[in-house]
Amino acid sequence: MHGANPRGRANPLFLWPVLLLVSTSWLSMAGASNDGPNNGPNNGPAMPEHVVGEQPYPFDTNDAREEDKPAIELPDSIRPKLNLLTPEEIDFLESGEARRFTGPLEDTVEALEERTPEEVKAWVGAMREVIERNRYVAGRDAANIPLNTESAHFNAWRLKRPRAMDPQREDGPIELGRYNGYGGPPTFGGFPLALTPEDLLAGEVDVAILGAPLNMGSGWRDSGEQATVDLRLLGGEMSGSDQYVMIEASDVLTIVDYGDVAVDNDSTERSMRHVREVVREIARTGAIPMVVGGDHSLEYPNVAALADVYGKEKVSVIHFDSHYDAWWGGTHLISHGYPVYRLINEGHVRAADYIQVGLRSSGPDKSGFEWMREQGMRYHNMAEVEKRGWDAVLERVVAEASEEGRKVHISFDIDVLDPAFTPATGTPVPGGLTMREAITIMRRLCAETEVVGFDLVELHPMLDPTYKTTLNSAHIIKACLTGLAMRKEGKTDKHYLSPLSSEHAVDDYYGDQQHYLDATRTEEEEEEKEEKEEAEEALDANPTRASDG
Amino acid sequence: MNTCATLKRATWLVLLATVMLFVLNVAHALWSVPEHLISKLEQLSAEQAEFINSGAVLEFIPQRQIEHELATRDADSLKTLLDELLSLAAEMRYDPDRDMGAIPLNLASKRFNQGTLPTPEPLRKLQRQPGPFSVHRYLVPKSGVPTFGGANVAIWPEDLVAGKVDVAIIGVPNDMGSGRRDAGEGPAAMRGLNTIAAADMQSLVVPLEVLHVVDYGNIRVDILSSERTATHVAAMVAETAATGAIPMLVGGDTSMLYPGVKGLAETHGSGNFGLLHFSAHPDVDRDGDHLLSDKQALFLLLQEGLVNGDETIQVGLRGPAVTAATLEWLRSQKVRYHTMAKIQQEGFDATLKKVLAEVNRGPERYFVSIDVSVIEPAEMVAAGRIAPHGLRIQEAARAIRQVCAGKEVVGFEITDMAPRLDFTRLSVVNANALLNACLVGIAVRRAGLKPDYIHPLVRGHGQR
Repeated sequence: MHGANPRGRANPLFLWPVLLLVSTSWLSMAGASNDGPNNGPNNGPAMPEHVVGEQPYPFDTNDAREEDKPAIELPDSIRPKLNLLTPEEIDFLESGEARRFTGPLEDTVEALEERTPEEVKAWVGAMREVIERNRYVAGRDAANIPLNTESAHFNAWRLKRPRAMDPQREDGPIELGRYNGYGGPPTFGGFPLALTPEDLLAGEVDVAILGAPLNMGSGWRDSGEQATVDLRLLGGEMSGSDQYVMIEASDVLTIVDYGDVAVDNDSTERSMRHVREVVREIARTGAIPMVVGGDHSLEYPNVAALADVYGKEKVSVIHFDSHYDAWWGGTHLISHGYPVYRLINEGHVRAADYIQVGLRSSGPDKSGFEWMREQGMRYHNMAEVEKRGWDAVLERVVAEASEEGRKVHISFDIDVLDPAFTPATGTPVPGGLTMREAITIMRRLCAETEVVGFDLVELHPMLDPTYKTTLNSAHIIKACLTGLAMRKEGKTDKHYLSPLSSEHAVDDYYGDQQHYLDATRTEEEEEEKEEKEEAEEALDANPTRASDG
Repeated sequence: MNTCATLKRATWLVLLATVMLFVLNVAHALWSVPEHLISKLEQLSAEQAEFINSGAVLEFIPQRQIEHELATRDADSLKTLLDELLSLAAEMRYDPDRDMGAIPLNLASKRFNQGTLPTPEPLRKLQRQPGPFSVHRYLVPKSGVPTFGGANVAIWPEDLVAGKVDVAIIGVPNDMGSGRRDAGEGPAAMRGLNTIAAADMQSLVVPLEVLHVVDYGNIRVDILSSERTATHVAAMVAETAATGAIPMLVGGDTSMLYPGVKGLAETHGSGNFGLLHFSAHPDVDRDGDHLLSDKQALFLLLQEGLVNGDETIQVGLRGPAVTAATLEWLRSQKVRYHTMAKIQQEGFDATLKKVLAEVNRGPERYFVSIDVSVIEPAEMVAAGRIAPHGLRIQEAARAIRQVCAGKEVVGFEITDMAPRLDFTRLSVVNANALLNACLVGIAVRRAGLKPDYIHPLVRGHGQR
């Protein structure tokens, strides 16, 4: 397949000289932007990734995968039907372009036989008209969606409240409750609130949970904006001890609610840059951004922001979804069906660094999967689960994600789960993962691989009067938080489970009673040892205080 | 939207912004730094002091608060605050070097206009005579493919012409509301819970016997751009109205009021019909960063002169955008507004009387628009931009029916009913009741009856 590599065709470096010719002034503008992605430690030359002014999207927007079906040659027997056609029209009728209207040779001949030459003329004319009218034509079609650049409040939607407007406080996470942090307005997990990168740095924050209420998904749109609120209302579900591994994430990690990022719910495109800035701001402090959406367009700014910080093509993405989200070629340049293609097209992620889990929607067609295979994308469709069983697929995904040197972003579209667990999602597809399966893989991935970013998207709480979907979404987040805490604790063994909680060991039913008793004792001894060492360290650090005591 | 219209609008907006700034300045000029705080300004730079003196600071901080800050902050802290606010003010406006001034599209797309391209005649799969047709197998269908009012279906303008269609009910499933979303599902839900077009209990007129009504399908929308959608919707509405049928539009969010009226203005002429708009929200945002949204729908109609201010009547205003500045602006446009506060004070009947008097004094033809937010949430919990304390369904329906029966209705639109927000589906029943009120009104008028006609049989049982 020629030109099958969108990465190659769309390489910004490839476009560089073209752009240079087109608009040097614009480039200098983009280059001068000190808020662009160019500040990342591992970035190459400045690249114009943001649309400024009324400029077009600065990457090749052709869908490299689009190709016409093979042309046909009409038999002489049917030629009389073509009497009224011009040679150009006959060429068109035989070309690959006409196949989407008239089908393969056999169907075309049959359709021609049914028509008079006059009807054939009108028929072919209509096809060419459709093709022509479908395309963008300057002067006839609007080249972009203009904004009201005269507005006195053009940027009001994304401007931050000055710190000086509130009473002075120290940097660091803020506990909103009066009673040892409890009793305040609801936050994600009941975790303290942080509002600035300085808060994250001062608090040495490990995980910052950011709401992103983008409400532009193509399915049911109800109240995507409600998602970040409802996840806070049911926030307690996100925290607390995880019995499978006997760890409470917030004991090990500093986790904060980083508030919501501003989005423009009249334009996904316009929201992207600001979300990217805020996610980047989190990642730069060393905290893991956990973005709670919002529709799946968010995968694009989330991963692009990680690429800004960790470098191009340094981050892998595990995309949990019933949809492949690598569509392209429509009128718009971002939607919740496009993030994967756009990330690859802009060179943030290599296609080969994509691992997809749970696909089962009605698209893409064969050519979509052929493209993924050629690109080296690791797709694990529900068809594979049906064939091999979940356990095998789980092991394979974890093995792929833990390959040496991978930094991983997990993008979790809740429609990967069966609608029995998450009815409140924009584009549900039956036949998905169970919560039991999802909790395990999330905990394991976050423990056994190097996760640098996470998002959970497509929650639309108003579709579910039972709160079940919100509850399950919170538990997916909890499973990852637990995994991250395990990793920090060094519990990264393959499929670690607590020897205490996973086996009563009162008898030898499975024949491995002693193993569990020993493992439990070892863990207890290690914990005691650690506590002792910590106490000694504390004493060394602050001997006077100990003597005071 | 073509470039010319955009330019025209931009010019207008500049003018407006200037006026607004002037008005704002006048408002700010009413406040001045209190005597005992003036000395505080001496600590500040000239720019900072001017920021306060001019009242510009009031855009960010209420008067009470800035006075408190002046009284309590030390010089450094005050300077920091003002510097931060000044830099905020500097970033508020569009900067072509920093901001996206237009949302780019994929000009290379082979499907750029695919969504809104009706199938040309030679490519249609089935040949049939033009005219509305039934989707049912049975003479008296009980179920099957849901259509508005159980009406026949028409697909092309030829169908409307051939069938001499009086009323074409059309779905416009745009879903870009600024409140809670899902209005895009409105047309499907209202078809799926059909309670319209039955015999009218007051007049005993059966709408479908008097009028030729069809379900004219949905108009395709671009789910990611109201602007692109509006262009197509206006063209389709104009095409429909040109056949002589009255378009009754089922939204979709209220941004679609703009192309609905615009399409009719193409057919009937700008300013040639009045607008009766039931809504909790004034929809006259004059400074949106986008060029089309529900919040701007009426503003755009007035600004482009598609309807005249003094022929525009608004009923039920109460939403968060009803501010003194907005009401003043509506007054300046001569819009006849009737707030919920006034309705509560004088009673709905008194307001209805006034509204009907205004309608009667107004032009012969009207466009009737209902944003379901006008209804009390107890009866319309699925309103996308819900606002407590609204009209009862009977009140709104009575008003709509009277106007549709008394005047020539050029078009009707009901918007922003988001079905999934109401698991009981009561909102769907009530949205249909509002649409039905106008349909019955049109039928009563067509039957040659007076707007408030009550059939003698309905008045009482007649027994001694």
